[in-house]
Amino acid sequence: MLRLLGHRLLQLIPTIFILSLIIFSLQHLLPGDPALALAGENPDPETVAAIRARYGLDQPIFMQYLYWVGGVLTGDLGLSMRHNLPVTTLVLQKLPVTLQLAIMGIVLALVFGVVGGVIAAVRRNTSIDYAANVVSLAGISVPNFWLGIMLILLFSIQLRWLPASGYVPLSVDWRMNLATTVMPAFVLGTAIAGIIMRHTRSAMIQALESDYVRTARAKGLSPTVVVVKHAMRNALTPIITLGALEFGALLSGAVLTEQIFAIPGFGKLIVDAVFTRDYAVVQGVVLVTALFYITLNLLADIGYILANPRLRS
Amino acid sequence: MDASNPPPAQEPLARDDRASGSDGAVLTVNDLRVCFAGDRTTTTAVDGVSFTLRKGRSLGVVGESGSGKSVSSLAVLRLLPTDSAQISGEILFAGQDLLSIGEKQMRNLRGNQISMIFQEPMTSLNPSYTVGDQVAETILRHRSVSKAEAWTQAVEMLRLVRIPSPETRARQYPHNLSGGMRQRVMIAMALACEPQVLIADEPTTALDVTIQAQILDLLENLKSTTGTAIVLITHDLGVVAEACDDVIVMYAGQVVESGSVEQIFSFPQHPYTVGLLGSLPRLDEERDELVAIGGTVPDMTQPPAGCRFAARCPFRIEKCAETPPMLEVNPGHTSRCWRTPLEELADEF
Repeated sequence: MLRLLGHRLLQLIPTIFILSLIIFSLQHLLPGDPALALAGENPDPETVAAIRARYGLDQPIFMQYLYWVGGVLTGDLGLSMRHNLPVTTLVLQKLPVTLQLAIMGIVLALVFGVVGGVIAAVRRNTSIDYAANVVSLAGISVPNFWLGIMLILLFSIQLRWLPASGYVPLSVDWRMNLATTVMPAFVLGTAIAGIIMRHTRSAMIQALESDYVRTARAKGLSPTVVVVKHAMRNALTPIITLGALEFGALLSGAVLTEQIFAIPGFGKLIVDAVFTRDYAVVQGVVLVTALFYITLNLLADIGYILANPRLRS
Repeated sequence: MDASNPPPAQEPLARDDRASGSDGAVLTVNDLRVCFAGDRTTTTAVDGVSFTLRKGRSLGVVGESGSGKSVSSLAVLRLLPTDSAQISGEILFAGQDLLSIGEKQMRNLRGNQISMIFQEPMTSLNPSYTVGDQVAETILRHRSVSKAEAWTQAVEMLRLVRIPSPETRARQYPHNLSGGMRQRVMIAMALACEPQVLIADEPTTALDVTIQAQILDLLENLKSTTGTAIVLITHDLGVVAEACDDVIVMYAGQVVESGSVEQIFSFPQHPYTVGLLGSLPRLDEERDELVAIGGTVPDMTQPPAGCRFAARCPFRIEKCAETPPMLEVNPGHTSRCWRTPLEELADEF
């Protein structure tokens, strides 16, 4: 098991190196010159040159890369040209917001997805199963932005139960925090819940038809023990990986939802940064998101090993 | 067909050990019928099966794939899917009809009074739990003992089925064990609560021949030490000869012949049994080639009228268009054939 884990950790080195190269070069493929953008209208060449020098844009490209990597390793993601603030500060400001939404979304998705999938599998080919299938298909098919708008119309405008937009940090007022995040978290969770439900259902059906479940029934165990202890235990291991991947997707995929609910998170940060060619911010956000993805994948693999006796020994 | 089944000169063996009659019966199945309702057709998998299992004896259930052996045994434990399988008849165990008791009562019997082991030891154990846990689980379910006590008993059971160093093995997962070892674990699990009946559905089919003999030996031994009656389902007549006292031969969902091992092997009365014995490879006789039974098993969505074996039977006569009853040839030996006793027809081969 330790060998497997060590192997897995070693694989991270090339992955992260390639990742850093891609992130660094992607921004240079974006059209437009940031120095020109920053210098305002009709700039004189000296101002532009000064800006280039200040942000290191006059250096050879590999030097720019080394500076960037050196900075990243010391926690310095560069300076936002637009906000005139360190990117690290911006990221640390916005990350908790998106993280909270993603955690709420994935918890909702796991609860509804797993419970729904298990019930659908146990009650296969009954009206409950068909209903669960329709709901999961709807969850996958309905676009986030449309669902978001519909929720705002219903709960904010018609019923006036929840604020339509904005964000209150958890540390300020937990009730308001919940009120401002519940709708976007629900929107984020539904699509993933649908996917998880479908996977859970098919894995559970397979498990329920397996020989070891027949053995469990032949032992005289109750249906609950058979389903929860014997079938679910095996059916849900693939859901660990799926959940981790979907959680990673939530971190970067909240862009639209954050726009609709005007939530100052990662999504909004990167969209604004791209529009103003704020390279350092784009790099920072993409890097942090990618590192999250890699970490989640690693955790999922570890979880998978822990849950699977065949890999453990 | 060759004349490998000459009429025996001796009288069928006396059966003193069965003289107790119905008193000795632990499990009696009467007119068991199992139908599976499909979208358009209904398949009758088991059609009027009756047999009696006596205390301390083993009953072999023989037949080819699709003859209804496994379905009958799953029906006894009521493990067939309730939404598609329609079961009727009578399954008498300890004075009650298992088909009319509640599901909760049935669960108290499963693994406790009646247990079952299956064909595939590789997939019949849960890959996520240690084998010790899985044996102990049965004990915890049916006995009021502590977890530690259940574990100790589980290790003892593993020792009883001759698993070497059971303390270590109990803490291992199924994937650490060979097929033979896993089947031993299954047997330990099935016998942990000292059931009165053990149903073994092709327990040796997936195993190597040498391991097969060990497992059969083990079952035989456990039968004599624990007094558990065994239903041994197999398509292998060699296994029956080695391990069983009584036999029922099944064909197309029906019992076609029933008797003691001696009666069936030395004095087969149904043309299908004769065919099966003719297709059995033997070391003690010179044979040029093995004889196969021509034709195939009838389509069970539309079973033929009359005798179900008629289309493949070398002894077919006009009367075979009528359904034959089980006819008694000798005490305890019955055959579903109009032409019984067959020995008079030996020259027709």
